[in-house]
Amino acid sequence: MKNKIILLTKTLIRNGDGLSLKGSSGFAKAAIIATFAILLPMIMIGISALVINLANALKPLGQEGIILNLGISICAAMIFVFGIFYIISTFYFSSDVENLLPLPLKPRQIVGAKFLVVTIYEYLTTAVLYLPLWLSYGIVTGSGFLYYLYGLIVFLLLPITPLAAASLIIMVIMRFTNLSKYKDAVKVIGAMLGVFLGVGINILVQSFGEGMTQEQIADLMQKGENSLAGLASGIFPTTRWGAEAMISFGELSGLFNILIYIGFSILVYMVLLWLGELLYLRGVVGMSETGSSRKKNSSFMLEKEVEQSSVVSSYFLVELKLLFRTPIYFVNCVMINFLWPIFLLLPFVIEQESRSMLQKIIPMVNNPDIVGTILIASFSLAFFLGGTNGTASTSISREGQELYIKKYLPVSYRQQLTAKVLSGFVLGVSGIIVFVACAVFLLKLSLWTAFLIILTAWLPILLTSLTGLLIDLYNPKLNWDNEQKAVKQNVNLLYNMLIGLLFAGVTWILLPFSSNLILTVIILLAVYGLLCVLLVKALFTLGVNQFGQLEV
Amino acid sequence: MIKLNGLRKIYGNTVKAVDNLNLVIPDGEIFGFLGPNGAGKTTTIKLIAGILNASSGSIQVNGLDIEEDALAAKKQIGFVPDNPNMFLRLKGMEYLNFMADMYDVSAEERKSRIENLAQRFDMRDVLLDRIQSYSHGMRQKIVIMGVLVHNPSVWVLDEPMTGLDPRSSFQLKEMMREHADSGNTVFFSTHVLDVAEKVCDRVAIINKGKLAFCGTLEEMKEHFKQNTSLENMFLELTEK
Repeated sequence: MKNKIILLTKTLIRNGDGLSLKGSSGFAKAAIIATFAILLPMIMIGISALVINLANALKPLGQEGIILNLGISICAAMIFVFGIFYIISTFYFSSDVENLLPLPLKPRQIVGAKFLVVTIYEYLTTAVLYLPLWLSYGIVTGSGFLYYLYGLIVFLLLPITPLAAASLIIMVIMRFTNLSKYKDAVKVIGAMLGVFLGVGINILVQSFGEGMTQEQIADLMQKGENSLAGLASGIFPTTRWGAEAMISFGELSGLFNILIYIGFSILVYMVLLWLGELLYLRGVVGMSETGSSRKKNSSFMLEKEVEQSSVVSSYFLVELKLLFRTPIYFVNCVMINFLWPIFLLLPFVIEQESRSMLQKIIPMVNNPDIVGTILIASFSLAFFLGGTNGTASTSISREGQELYIKKYLPVSYRQQLTAKVLSGFVLGVSGIIVFVACAVFLLKLSLWTAFLIILTAWLPILLTSLTGLLIDLYNPKLNWDNEQKAVKQNVNLLYNMLIGLLFAGVTWILLPFSSNLILTVIILLAVYGLLCVLLVKALFTLGVNQFGQLEV
Repeated sequence: MIKLNGLRKIYGNTVKAVDNLNLVIPDGEIFGFLGPNGAGKTTTIKLIAGILNASSGSIQVNGLDIEEDALAAKKQIGFVPDNPNMFLRLKGMEYLNFMADMYDVSAEERKSRIENLAQRFDMRDVLLDRIQSYSHGMRQKIVIMGVLVHNPSVWVLDEPMTGLDPRSSFQLKEMMREHADSGNTVFFSTHVLDVAEKVCDRVAIINKGKLAFCGTLEEMKEHFKQNTSLENMFLELTEK
């Protein structure tokens, strides 16, 4: 039995596509690796610094153990939250389920293998938090070999209890309800939660421990332990045993704790297999049948459903519907437009330090002398937002092997490309409007300034939509079997982001004119308006021609 | 009417997917296009539908050149691809409205056509469901409905019977006959020789991109000087 679980785990991991960079071009690969190579160490160094500061502050009080307790509990809580979504997508929504069910496998073997796959994925996410915690705590406290050994064991077994809890919840839910109807919605909620958790941790780390006294820190940690982490360690008792083993590694109680920790984790895994045998099959059978009402719809009135629209608006609406209804497109093309206000403005509301900064900023942004500067800044920001929005820069790639459909429609390529630019433009401009609305609300930006920003900032959005579409026309990624690859592993998005950044920088050349507001507006509209006209021309000649050449 | 004139499609300078194909399919005819896997059937059909550009030669649909007069020619055609998995996240009705918009079908016309097609294919109750939830056969039916909603005079169908239940398959064959009998053209590819034998006025057999035979079944039997089945003749014509 064990053999089959391990065999299946290996196959599932090899078959998975979430992590592989295969198929990306050399440049894309380098870019993705570079991003991680810069971003991950930054986060890990930040956490290390935090742990070292806290440990140094708490050592005189003899309370440094709290850090491990708290840290490991936070890891467990994180594993649990992410686990819910990992579990539901690997256990139930994954396309390999249909191929596994006919095989002569016991449910507990499928559950066991899929559980291990998720555990391995969790190692990758948890490592970012756990490694700096484990290593820097060990260094600061001068712990010995056993500490590191215990730490490794704690890390390897840490996901088991929280993931088992998540699995149990999901398996019970799936056994008695039919969540498959809401497959897409669940995926979107999962992605949104991930983003908010990311922002949350970022704010938490930033606002932690700056300018606080030892007692305040100890107090805060105690509170933290009692609340969030206390809750986690209450639910997942293993975290406490693990932390205790690491804290008192030199004593017999350390050994005792690590043995309990190991034993309990194995027990939990066994219980999970047993529960899987009972619950899994009943929930997963019939998953592939996507929900539909299939009831006789007597109230269905054809007259009401028939609606005629112009070619471009109908094409544009279908583009939007597909963007909203495909989870991965929704997250990367739609949601991203509306996340920036949260990323950039939310810290002002939550962080204390930033809040006081906010009080200084409010009179500043309302100083009539710097409206021109604000305009240039928002124009530059709009380039950045436009560049990061993948709607236009993946619009050909998203067609994939279905591109041929667009070839036999009796609709000119010019009209089709217009509708594609339009979808990127409308989403981008909506993002700008939300952003400006947030600024009016939070920074008390005057309505006049807000109006001027919207009057000008649509141009960068249009420009980046045009460049994005042109790039994607010349370098579309049409060979994919999974929508994720069309967007997430698409280097065109990155190219367009670079173009957006370039223009965002270049725009600051206009700063010397910013004292003259009218001149600033005129220059922005004229220069970038002209550029857009040229790009539209290019799209309607070169782009149309290129679209005609594309064959699948 | 469809006219293929010296049609060639070469992939990557070497692979001749379609090689010097000459065909005329007059109005009022159901024309079956047969051939083994990889013979060039789908490539030919994609060339006719305007999805691929020919390497040389020309295609005329009702006298309109598919490259010179692309939009007008495409409006003459109703094209059913071999893979019905498209627009899965749209509802059936949304897809039909989209197709009708693309072909400039008025609200009045599309209403009566959708009504009629939904009736024939027994699809009325599922039009407000997402295509994702349809079975293979239902997807095939919604694609056919989307194609016929603009009442094209030339039907180009790639393996249209695949996945259809006997009733729908019968309906489609009947509709093909009606369509041809009222003076229009039906061009379709199939692997199922039985269907070709029963439905087609004329057939062409293509092998390795070249035309191996074109004519009525009687002419084919004449050609072989024997009263054998289409299957046997097919096997002989496409022998390696």
